[in-house]
Amino acid sequence: MNMKYKGEMRTITGNAAAAYGAMLCRPDVVALYPITPQTEVVEQLSRFSADGLLDAEMVEVEGENSAMNIVAAAAISGGRVFTASSSWGLAFMYDALLQTSGFRAPVVMVNVNREMPGILAVSTGQQDMIGTRDVGWIQIIAEDCQEILDLVIMAYRLAEDFDIQVPVMVNYDGFYLSYLSEGVNIPAREEVDVFLAPLKEQPERPKLVPGGPLGCGTHGIEKGFVELRYKHCAAMERAKNKFDEIDRLFGESFERSYGGQIEEYYMEDAEIALLASGSASGTVKKVIDSKRKHGLKIGLVKLRMFRPFPSERLSRAFRGKKAIGVIDRSICFGWDCGPIYMELRALSSEIGLIPMMSFIDGLANMDISIVHIERMIDSVYAASQGKPYQRVNWVILEE
Amino acid sequence: MMVKKKKLSKIFDYFRDEDPFAGGISICSGCPMELLLRFMSKVLGKDIIIVGTPSCSAIVLYGQNIGSWHKLSYYGCLMTGVASSATGITRYYRKIGKDVTVVCFTGDGCAADVGFQPLSGAAERNENFIYICYDNEGYMNTGVQRSSTTPFGAKTSTTPIGVARRGNETTGKNLPFIIAMHKVSYAATATLSHLEDLAKKLIKAKEKKNEGFAYIHVFSPCPTGWGFPMDLSIEVCRMAVRTNYFPLWEAERGKFRLTHKIKKSRPLKDLVRMIRKFSHLTDEEMGMLEKEVHERYRLIEGVTQMMPLKETP
Ligand SMILES: Cc1ncc(C[n+]2csc(CCOP(=O)(O)OP(=O)(O)O)c2C)c(N)n1
Ligand code: SF4
Repeated sequence: MNMKYKGEMRTITGNAAAAYGAMLCRPDVVALYPITPQTEVVEQLSRFSADGLLDAEMVEVEGENSAMNIVAAAAISGGRVFTASSSWGLAFMYDALLQTSGFRAPVVMVNVNREMPGILAVSTGQQDMIGTRDVGWIQIIAEDCQEILDLVIMAYRLAEDFDIQVPVMVNYDGFYLSYLSEGVNIPAREEVDVFLAPLKEQPERPKLVPGGPLGCGTHGIEKGFVELRYKHCAAMERAKNKFDEIDRLFGESFERSYGGQIEEYYMEDAEIALLASGSASGTVKKVIDSKRKHGLKIGLVKLRMFRPFPSERLSRAFRGKKAIGVIDRSICFGWDCGPIYMELRALSSEIGLIPMMSFIDGLANMDISIVHIERMIDSVYAASQGKPYQRVNWVILEE
Repeated sequence: MMVKKKKLSKIFDYFRDEDPFAGGISICSGCPMELLLRFMSKVLGKDIIIVGTPSCSAIVLYGQNIGSWHKLSYYGCLMTGVASSATGITRYYRKIGKDVTVVCFTGDGCAADVGFQPLSGAAERNENFIYICYDNEGYMNTGVQRSSTTPFGAKTSTTPIGVARRGNETTGKNLPFIIAMHKVSYAATATLSHLEDLAKKLIKAKEKKNEGFAYIHVFSPCPTGWGFPMDLSIEVCRMAVRTNYFPLWEAERGKFRLTHKIKKSRPLKDLVRMIRKFSHLTDEEMGMLEKEVHERYRLIEGVTQMMPLKETP
């Protein structure tokens, strides 16, 4: 039995918010292995388990690869599951991440973003998320501690939806959010139960049962494989609108919603815009507030869903703008720019041939500071006025 | 007229269910692993979940596209994720209070090498499932490469015989012993020449898995990769037992018992001479192999005396 949990407003870290989110969703099997900056999630869930708040099979695994295999197999058996990791832990799961999505196992995991490569780069950065963008998972990104908790709950609705059945990775910035304490509204367990209840009314997903005929991993080759691959892609596409809908329903239940795939901040009348994600979005909003006071028509699109890439909504949001700047907290090896920038460029024909600038900033715990953001906005504005501009900017190195 | 019924072998008493595999499956003729797969399924029953990996056994367990060669519930995973996947399945079923028999079925390459970490982890946590490793002393599915259970001197495609190198240079891991030393609920060795011994161990593993981890290491010679005629497979198994190359024992929580004691062991040469992968061995090399076999036997004999397991009636 999961003990009752009433819900309360508390000041907790991002890691604790993730753990609360998971605990409230009543996972059956939880497998965890510690790594900075995620460790507190492991400890907190173990505490919940010891205190009777979390009635799950807790597996203290000997490595992340096993953690992912355990939760994937438990999900295929019919369970609700949770795991969490970061950077090297995520890399150590790489094969299992692929297997999990290939099996369409509705796993929910938290990835606390950390810089890599560089073993000693114990710092924030989204390179770990970027390195797993093509593993067939849904990847969503939180901006603050409240959103972490809320996204974990929404992730179950998304991953386990009968029409989706794709694993979901909830990302948030290590250090900046993992250890940041903020006031978080923690819902009561019953409220979460109600929010997740519609999943129970859906058709049952195929399960591994003793003596049953289900064979997993038996894609084989040729047409059988291609069919499954096609269906996986189609489910990823469906996940976009589904995520918008879940966000809306979440708003109805909890009086908080975020915009779904993207959040638009002053975009309606904006002439120039930034695209950002994660914790830095909060700072960007502050700078926009002050720029707006000075009459600059600037807006922000916060990317909340990175996989699948919200191409339709991004195209719509940016169409008609005069110039765009994209802030990336990671880089795209083999290209000279940030990865989110590179992906946005793929929408050039929908958005229009306007200046698009890549800002690489915030790597390895460097602050994406107010000063940096102001500088970015200045150069995007200059570009919008037809001035010559530099396409790729390593903001940190410009100091 | 009275028809005198032919008396069936005692081994039939151990079968719970019929063979769930199709008649013609794509495993080399004479492969003891195929026999093990069929035998195991008949003894453990059809309501099991098999977890397996890429290997010679996968060819049959996976099936092809939408076709299947068996009626068992099967979870095919990566070589790195067998024991962990089995953990996930068993933990979920434990959570919902349903008894389930999960059986990992892998080669030695998975168990001793790339899948060793999760195996050791699951053994240490004493997870409630059965792990069966069929030991053909190498990576057979990829074309007979060395694994860490390949014996000293053996010729494989990665330890070929040439002027500079002469076969496998290491003595190999004693995997069943290593697993037993995790103090698991049950660990045993078995082979296909001693079917009753194998059947008893399978049944015991199924019982013991309710208490914790149950491991069976099955000596499974490979006619194709080792070089011996396919009709000699069972003879090779038997000779491995008679020479003490592969002693049969079982262990419960770190206490050991020989289940088939050899009164007077045959010389190792009797086994080695049957197998082409050893055909190049010089007397000196043969001596080294003998030394290793002898040491391993002494080890297991020693622990059965120091930490004896009483025979259960
Ligand atoms: C991670 C990984 N590395 C390599 C392989 C390629 N591979 C397929 S089967 C195999 C050998 C398996 O050996 P073993 O487990 O002993 O089974 P056997 O082939 O002997 O039946 C290898 C190395 C793989 N499937 N996965
Ligand atoms: S290669 Fe060896 S182990 Fe593999 S199926 Fe053939 S005989 Fe059996």
